[in-house]
Amino acid sequence: MTIAVNLLGASFYSTHHASVEDALAGRERAATQPAFALLVGRARRFTSLVTQLHIEVCGALKVEGAEPPVTVFATCHGEIQTAANLLADFRDNAMVSGARFALSVHNTPSGLYSVATGSSAPSTTVTGDNAIAAGWLEAALTALEAERNVLLSIADEPVPAEFRGPVAIGGVAAAFLLGPPSSTGRAMQLAITPCAEDGVVDSLLTLARAADACLRSPPATVALGRIQPGQVLELRG
Amino acid sequence: MSSGHAITGAAVANCLGADTGAVFEHAFAGTELFSPAGAFFAFPFPTVLGVMPALGSSDAELPGCTSTRLSTVALASARQLRPAVHAARERWGANRIGYVFASSTGGLEETERTIAPSAQMPVTTPGYRYADHAIDATSSAIASYLGAEGVVMAVSTACSSSFKALASAIRLIDHGLADAVVVGSADSLCRTTVFGFHSLGLLAPTATQPFSRDRAGITLGEGSAFLLIERAAEVSRPHAIAWLSGHGAASDAFHHTSPHPEGLGGQLCMREAIERAGLVPDAIDCVSAHGTGTRLNDAAEAIAVNRVFARAVPLTATKSLTGHTLGSAGLTSLALAIESLRRQEIPASLRATPVDAELGVAVVEHRIATRLQHVLVNAFGFGGSNASVIVSRRA
Repeated sequence: MTIAVNLLGASFYSTHHASVEDALAGRERAATQPAFALLVGRARRFTSLVTQLHIEVCGALKVEGAEPPVTVFATCHGEIQTAANLLADFRDNAMVSGARFALSVHNTPSGLYSVATGSSAPSTTVTGDNAIAAGWLEAALTALEAERNVLLSIADEPVPAEFRGPVAIGGVAAAFLLGPPSSTGRAMQLAITPCAEDGVVDSLLTLARAADACLRSPPATVALGRIQPGQVLELRG
Repeated sequence: MSSGHAITGAAVANCLGADTGAVFEHAFAGTELFSPAGAFFAFPFPTVLGVMPALGSSDAELPGCTSTRLSTVALASARQLRPAVHAARERWGANRIGYVFASSTGGLEETERTIAPSAQMPVTTPGYRYADHAIDATSSAIASYLGAEGVVMAVSTACSSSFKALASAIRLIDHGLADAVVVGSADSLCRTTVFGFHSLGLLAPTATQPFSRDRAGITLGEGSAFLLIERAAEVSRPHAIAWLSGHGAASDAFHHTSPHPEGLGGQLCMREAIERAGLVPDAIDCVSAHGTGTRLNDAAEAIAVNRVFARAVPLTATKSLTGHTLGSAGLTSLALAIESLRRQEIPASLRATPVDAELGVAVVEHRIATRLQHVLVNAFGFGGSNASVIVSRRA
């Protein structure tokens, strides 16, 4: 099973790598914070690293067209640091911050992006341990359905230690602008193929490989992760 | 009119009952089953909650998954839908049946017990696993339990989650990745959301009163709702209990938690759903409102409904019965709308009297029997995330 994808642009950000090439080569830098310039004023307050990462890579993409793109946000862990802060709030103080709670939902980056850009286009947020693959699939099918551009943004921040989750050195994000079949982007494909292993992928390397495949010319196949039992989704281009 | 997608199974569980029959019976009888908040946790402020009745231990175990409050709530609906999914497997094959799950808080209640345990909420699961925290904590186990071996994914867009999941499921079918999809949704009560909505000033001290002049906020609830949808085809048509004829989505682009004052996103998604269904607003017989019972939400939704329909379309608010089940709210209302189509009745919006005359909406204050062919259901959420779905009696 293959799905055609027209790629119009891509961007990548890692708190610990200066470029896609550095991320792929394992060349780390001192930790940096995204500028997330699309958000101004009060919208910048209380935002988590994962929201900042989403906004950073979305803002780095040149989004053109008469209509704003439909947006698909993807995240394995969501607003995990915000959740940790809320839990500490009511454990220690028997209350929570309303402002913090409001920004704790998985679609916080989606909402803030929509407000920042004034776009009333539909938006969704996919999550879970196969969020990268599910995000790509959702975005590709939406581009086919909507006949308009789709902005896919994928980001995650490190899981706080008290959650005993997977360990990551920093935050990572990538955004991809997909066009409808009638557009003139770079022709790529998503393919569902059998996989003997569990299909779990490393977020940093997977996003770096996908961004590399999209930003550069050499043909590449990138495993995006499990999409159904015994099957993974691959990006081919 | 659009041919739509066949709904071949629906199951729901919440404070009205742990099985679909009980939920429907209580909903159409207008039974009030909210509990004092202390039935869940002793919060330092007054409120009531929609607590799901306890399940027997044999029903509450989900093979391959830690037993948590989320898994218990989700399984209550999943087990009811299992026979319908097995029948769909016979029609299409197991690997052609997808599973899309939606939730706003996922396994957060389990994490609360581990990171912020209390005398009332002690650690219940030795060896807490991070996997039990996630939105998709139960996904693999439930897909396996149901025998759905197709695409599996999870969606989380706050209180519109289940309708966004439904739209994803429709896309999977329309583009050939599945022939049938289970769309599941569940949210359990957890302390974070009760504290959080209270901090925002959105929690009602007594049972919620959507669209009432005296409305004072949300009553939170827990629950699950599962739907089986199938490609419209000769093999699925005889099994259809109702039809999905249209869906729409839009963003408010106004504020992260406050609705657009004129319900812009709500207007856009209702219009899109009606257009996709190939209908006109006058064809909609009833609107099942998002109807949270907050001053601003109900006012914005009323304006949106009035702009789209320009008539006194009957409006019902099922959260007055079930409480606000967050990520499961849309499918919960949709399941009740399907039952409305079957019964040709609209359930009452409890405690709406006296209706806020300034809203100008025709709230169904008492259960009514009426001709129903198309019901439009709304689900709106934080982030200005709005979605509407139309369910119809016939294709």
